[in-house]
Amino acid sequence: MTSLATLTTPKLTAKHFKSDLKPIWCPGCGDFGVLQAMYRALAAIGRPPHEIAFISGIGCSSRIPGYTTAYGFNSVHGRALPIAQGIKLARPELLVLAAGGDGDGFSIGGGHVPHAIRRNVDITYIVMDNQIYGLTKGQLSPTSPKGLKTVTSTYGSMESPVNPLLYVLAYGAPFVAQGTPGDMAGLTAVIEEAIRYPGFAFVNVQSPCVTYGDEDQQVKAQKAKMKTLASLGHDPSDQLAAMDLARAYGTELYTGVFYRNPAPQSTMDSLVLERQQQLAAGALPRERILDLFVQH
Amino acid sequence: MKRDLVIGMAGSGGDGIVSAGESLISACAAEGYNALMTKSFGSQIRGGESSCRIRLAIDPVLNPGGTLDVAVALNWEDFLKFGAELPVGGNTVVIYDSATGVAADKLPLPGVTPAEVFPVPIGEMAIKAAGTDKAKNTVVLGLLSAWFGIVREGVMKGLRKKLAKKGPEVLEANERAFQAGIDYATGHPLRTSRTMEKPAKPGVKLLTDGNDICAAAAVFAGCQFFSGYPITPSTEVMQFLTREIWKYGGAVLQAEDEIAGIGAALGASYGGKKSMTATSGPGMSLKTEMLGLASIAELPLVLVNVQRGGPSTGLPTKPEQSDLFQAVYSAHGDVLRPVLAPTSVSDTFDITVEAFNIAERYQTPVVILSDQEIAQRKEVIDPIDTSRFQIHERLRPGPAELEGDYARFRFTENGISPLSHPGMKGGTYLGSGIEHNEHGDPTASGDMHAKMSEKRFRKLDPLLERQDLFRIEGDPAAPLALIAWGSIAGVCREAFALARADRMKVKLLVPYLLYPIAKGVYGDFFKSVKAGLVVEQSQQGQLYKILRSEIDLPAGLRSFCRTGANPFRPTEVVAALREIVLELQRRAETSQAMAGVTG
Repeated sequence: MTSLATLTTPKLTAKHFKSDLKPIWCPGCGDFGVLQAMYRALAAIGRPPHEIAFISGIGCSSRIPGYTTAYGFNSVHGRALPIAQGIKLARPELLVLAAGGDGDGFSIGGGHVPHAIRRNVDITYIVMDNQIYGLTKGQLSPTSPKGLKTVTSTYGSMESPVNPLLYVLAYGAPFVAQGTPGDMAGLTAVIEEAIRYPGFAFVNVQSPCVTYGDEDQQVKAQKAKMKTLASLGHDPSDQLAAMDLARAYGTELYTGVFYRNPAPQSTMDSLVLERQQQLAAGALPRERILDLFVQH
Repeated sequence: MKRDLVIGMAGSGGDGIVSAGESLISACAAEGYNALMTKSFGSQIRGGESSCRIRLAIDPVLNPGGTLDVAVALNWEDFLKFGAELPVGGNTVVIYDSATGVAADKLPLPGVTPAEVFPVPIGEMAIKAAGTDKAKNTVVLGLLSAWFGIVREGVMKGLRKKLAKKGPEVLEANERAFQAGIDYATGHPLRTSRTMEKPAKPGVKLLTDGNDICAAAAVFAGCQFFSGYPITPSTEVMQFLTREIWKYGGAVLQAEDEIAGIGAALGASYGGKKSMTATSGPGMSLKTEMLGLASIAELPLVLVNVQRGGPSTGLPTKPEQSDLFQAVYSAHGDVLRPVLAPTSVSDTFDITVEAFNIAERYQTPVVILSDQEIAQRKEVIDPIDTSRFQIHERLRPGPAELEGDYARFRFTENGISPLSHPGMKGGTYLGSGIEHNEHGDPTASGDMHAKMSEKRFRKLDPLLERQDLFRIEGDPAAPLALIAWGSIAGVCREAFALARADRMKVKLLVPYLLYPIAKGVYGDFFKSVKAGLVVEQSQQGQLYKILRSEIDLPAGLRSFCRTGANPFRPTEVVAALREIVLELQRRAETSQAMAGVTG
């Protein structure tokens, strides 16, 4: 029998967002923490799972949409952002999330990031940054520190890492934050705030690789190392100060909001809706579209 | 009276030759002629030499035609740069600016004596009538109008419309230039009259090109999202939709690259909207991975590849039919992807609507292989009755299914599983490029992979029965076959008519569905066939090779092909058919003689 209680919308909790799929991640992987933080943030936001589209690329972390009850799309390597933008522009009413690893976002898919930012499509992009390629078993990643020895840098990497925070700040991302599974409350808070921000929001999560990552990068070490930006007295509306602090990527672990544009700009999805409304009146009926070609 | 006239004109960039061509074809449309115009330019972005060919006729125009009836050279240097595109023959009337100083009996056209030659002081007349040599093109229109009895009213109307904004002085100057051309032609009549017949009834005509009509068809079919990256010669598809699609609640995204172009379109399709992307060869190469994703995620998507000469940058502004292998085979893994090809501006509409229907019904990416010629040539066409089209939508799960245990990739009898989209309650699933079970959950099971692969192929079986996606003409018992696809099919349709007029026992097959190969349709067609040609504009004859790999072909069927930018003329195809007939006859004689020896 259907009770009245099930007919009213129940308050969503983290478990409403947890799917039946068992994560393939190694025990101790940082991504478990990110997943938990996402469940909590989504519950706090309160949009039902079917109104959420969660898009990823390829990599360990890109498995994450399948572990939620939202609509997921585990696409191809590096292409979460183009697909996510297509969904958001086609259906602005949805809550659209994109996620992936550092290789997915800043190596093979790095060319898409500036364009998602400059369009300011209202999506939240979460990068689980572990400075290594985990799924392919331990190769150099775009955020690996210089000198790192891996199976593809036997004598040490000769390349400087990409700085994801500075990268997105430089392209004008209106919301930039960093978190760590070492601080679940803080991570949940920045993810929630990123989702609520009206515009392109970026969260870099220092999500350690337990199998190929260094000992001093694991959750426990991060806990000890992290410093909240709030404790440094950082003003997140100050873009230059944010960039200055972001320069410490790779040496310091700052968490919290680096930058939040206090005057959110129009998002492309809202401009799309506006243009559709402006021009709707000028439409010929679809079946008469060929009238445009009539010669009188 | 003439029923068909092919005019070719060339000049330098500032001469307004293409603009004159546009005035002419637009006047043809207004007066009820069928017409087709192709343009050709030098490789300069602006300026340089330019030319156009216009073919107007009482009957439908299937191709740009062969040798010119009329050649107009504003200067010889530019004209000669278009040798292959503007061939002059013994039946051509040559008109050129006498200011070039070339004597009428010393034309730089080796090996040809044109029927009539008119050195006309075109520039001088323009300056005298309009005060500027910019009116040269209008003088030319006057000459053509009077000598061939065409479009006098239409041109005047067009000039008035076009020059309205430039003020009465410019309009009057052009009217005087036009009249000067008419007066000159009237004073110097052709030795042999070549006056065009008037169209029976000047009904409503449409004037457009393949790219614009493709985009219009997308709107008609319900497309609500387009994303792409500018690339010659497909960009006009995006440009048209950028003007129109918003009015229908849709959106266009100019993506940062070809991959994002198809990615965003695929995202929109995942979001439940009909979507499209367009490109040319190099872009198609970049989009290949995402096409595979569309296949395994079973998402509808229409991809237009306006072919140009390749490989790599190749010949970006010239047509070729060398991307068929790419459209059919470019994938890792086992993929079956429908490929359709239009043959004219008009049927580009039909094919585009069909592509959306197939994409939506079978939840698959569909490639439309257009080519530069169809895409960028202007055609005057009859209005298209849009009521004869059915528009199909993807199968969506019903309420009962959404309330129960919805399985996105459920095995069904026809292989098509109801497709939900974000926003649909009860329909959540994981779309993915990874192999999955019926619910969409990732799997590494070999059995599941086999079953899903079989499902993804089987669901396209109904396409093999689609005889309506072929044009088949001629006596079903004919031993000779002519097969062609894409823009070259227009050439072959004319060749077919010529061959039949020449009493050859030939039949014609034009596939609009290039892949999968409808074996039954080809099998029936080949029953009577002993020999024939598969005509293609490519080095290696790609359709011929695909047919050979999938069907037992008649022994005498061969590939007749050459690379792009140098299309076959109908007469060349007829000549090749004639060779085949002779060969069949020789073989018959030989076997009779052998029979005589041994019998």
